Amino acid sequence: MDYDYIDRLLERYWKCETSLKEESELRTFFSKSDMPKRFLPYKDLFVYQQIQKTVGLGSDFDVRVLSKIEPPVVKAKRLTMFVRIKPFLRAAAAVALIVLCGNITERSYFADDKLDYNYKDYKDTFHDPEVAYKKVSSALMMLSEEIKKSKSQHFPDSLYQNDLDSVCTK
Amino acid sequence: MHEFSFQDDILPLKDKLFRLALRITMDRAEAEDVVEEAMVRVWEKRESYSNYDSVEAFCLVVTKNLALDMSQKKDAQNLSLDESMAESEMDESDPYHQLANNEKLKLIHRLINELPERQRLVMQLRDIEGESYKKIALVMNITEAQVKIDIFRARQKVKQRFLEIDGYGL
Repeated sequence: MDYDYIDRLLERYWKCETSLKEESELRTFFSKSDMPKRFLPYKDLFVYQQIQKTVGLGSDFDVRVLSKIEPPVVKAKRLTMFVRIKPFLRAAAAVALIVLCGNITERSYFADDKLDYNYKDYKDTFHDPEVAYKKVSSALMMLSEEIKKSKSQHFPDSLYQNDLDSVCTK
Repeated sequence: MHEFSFQDDILPLKDKLFRLALRITMDRAEAEDVVEEAMVRVWEKRESYSNYDSVEAFCLVVTKNLALDMSQKKDAQNLSLDESMAESEMDESDPYHQLANNEKLKLIHRLINELPERQRLVMQLRDIEGESYKKIALVMNITEAQVKIDIFRARQKVKQRFLEIDGYGL
């Protein structure tokens, strides 16, 4: 072993003239157990550097920091057609229930009032055809007279008044 | 630009980031929180890291800044540095301190942690992580010349004090 070389290295180390490689050589040299006595005082300084390099963090740190880094995983959920229309089914069921209730109540109230479209089964409510004819024609007459009256009243009042005036002056 | 993967590009840096944060906060739990937060931030802003040569430098910058913020907040809570350091030294069950069960290593640990903040971080990045001056300058946002000056001072101070105390001890 060239101790002079180590001497020189050490000398340059204290002056901060050594390269990283040379400093690494020094650390390797001082990690050995046998060396001239003159180097012993410095041994621990270099041993300390090597020991300090082994200080570190455990694997529990990895777990902790990774849990902070990785974004929460969003799982894609497969939706079946049934799940998708489920809300609409519910609404439809509610509407159907209301309609059903309405129908049932309606039927129970007006069960007797059946509309009969079978004209053949109609029965006359009169005994004398002539009386019936007169009653009908008088009813129609009343109707036509009412219609006439409403037609003559349909003119604006002022216009109607003018007509009357012109008739009177003549 | 290649596609980023958290597990391949960022997570493997956890130990290095943790060691840097630990050098600033001096508290394992806090350093762990810082690294976690830093990783989440880097991941969220992974598109904008192009200002840095590598995602590693970007991670180191974010971690450093977050850790400094946290230690400043701690100072604002009127917790003196001596107190927190005494506290951390008490905690012998801590694996971080178990590493330094050797008295001399413990002494070196204390000496480095007593360095001014910038010297401490620069020494961490160079002597323990083995980073280039260029990268350290980028991460610390100072010139390469300044990095060398800081490392020089840190090495000299630690060596001097270690030899002093160790010499008395023997």
